[in-house]
Amino acid sequence: MIMFELDQRISEQLTEVSLNSSVQVRCGNSNAFMVTASTMIPLMQMFEMGGVYICATRGAVEIIEAFEAIGVDVSNIQFVDLVSSGILGGTDVDRPNITFIDSPIMLESVLLRTLYILRTSNTERNFVLIDSVNALAIYNEERMLAEYLHTFINTFRQREVLSVILNVPDQVPPMVLSNLDLYCTDLIDRGQVVIH
Amino acid sequence: MQPATVYSRDRCITGIHGMDEILRGGIPYGSTVLAAGTCGSGKTTLAMEFLVRGALAGEACAHFTATEPSVKLLENIRQYAFFDMNMIDSGLINVFDMDVLYSWLGLDKASFDLDDVHALIKAIVDIVNTIGVTRLVIDSVTTLCYKIKSEQLIRDFLFTLGKKLATLGCTTILISEITSATENAHWSSFGVEEAIADGIIVMGDVERMGHLLRFLQVVKMRGTSHSRAKHAIELTPLGVMLTPMLKWGAVNDKTSRWGS
Repeated sequence: MIMFELDQRISEQLTEVSLNSSVQVRCGNSNAFMVTASTMIPLMQMFEMGGVYICATRGAVEIIEAFEAIGVDVSNIQFVDLVSSGILGGTDVDRPNITFIDSPIMLESVLLRTLYILRTSNTERNFVLIDSVNALAIYNEERMLAEYLHTFINTFRQREVLSVILNVPDQVPPMVLSNLDLYCTDLIDRGQVVIH
Repeated sequence: MQPATVYSRDRCITGIHGMDEILRGGIPYGSTVLAAGTCGSGKTTLAMEFLVRGALAGEACAHFTATEPSVKLLENIRQYAFFDMNMIDSGLINVFDMDVLYSWLGLDKASFDLDDVHALIKAIVDIVNTIGVTRLVIDSVTTLCYKIKSEQLIRDFLFTLGKKLATLGCTTILISEITSATENAHWSSFGVEEAIADGIIVMGDVERMGHLLRFLQVVKMRGTSHSRAKHAIELTPLGVMLTPMLKWGAVNDKTSRWGS
């Protein structure tokens, strides 16, 4: 197992958010997984939440294996994988907690699939995490992505599901970023590259 | 001064996720609604869920299938968690093969005349009346109307059937198959169904950068205000789920497979 140090300040910040919050999590290129894990682990372990992890940056298997490598069980989390269908053979995976969507451009399908998973969830308190806005911005036009995030955040806020939106701010289209600043109730800013 | 009372028609609550919200409470009771869509757009699933939700509320429902045998229909629908075969066994959902009905009525012929059409209407209405059906689906009215050669007869058939079912308090979904993809949209194969129906729900695909997204749009529904926006749909094991389509998506989306 790989030794891994979590950013404790993130878990402290998370104690202040409520279920109908929407948290913008900013990270850098080199600390993205550390920031993601430092956000996810307290949500799962401290707050005993279930959730949906929307994988647009990397395939779900890779993310699950990264968590397993640091000794974190994510079998209780459902993964919506937007990447692997674009890779021939990428969906040939035998993991019950992964569902695949054909493409990151099918944004409405991502929302509906996430809502479906939450309807079938036994967990009382849930989060939805988008990893990441940057990856979605590769495929989706700026105004459409801004509109989508607006819909997404409000949909889950209304349903008392915590939304966590991961982004690398200096690479996010300006309109999307300024809108995220407006919609999100909380900001966890680890956007600076951290050199250990 | 007393405020003016606003009359509102009683509704048939579809129970389909998002649908009653679009219809501001449901389909007005006794309406005949045309569900028009391309192949694979989810018409049969939507209609079957409409019946299942009714059956769960204790309503008697009927499904007349003309496009596929009932055995095949039930095998396909069994994969959905919302469906329970007990609803068939207990008689809450009654599935009828149109071919069998034609045989009973001695209508084993290529085309129907006025008497045949009246016999067919009487048979359907008798079934509805006997069982006390409050939710009915005919899948599809297009296949059925292929046997009726004159446009006037199709009009008479649909108008009379709709009127009689409405009198019995039966809310009906007529499934209409549409195929081609030009700009001059029609929502029925014969052009008369859409004029007679109380409501029209259009289902199809939009193409976004080479991918097909299913959509649903309520174009018309007499007796209720309703959203006319295009909604994305997903056919999940729990049933149909809907969300409004992204407005900026329309800039690139091509409505590729409906209309004629």
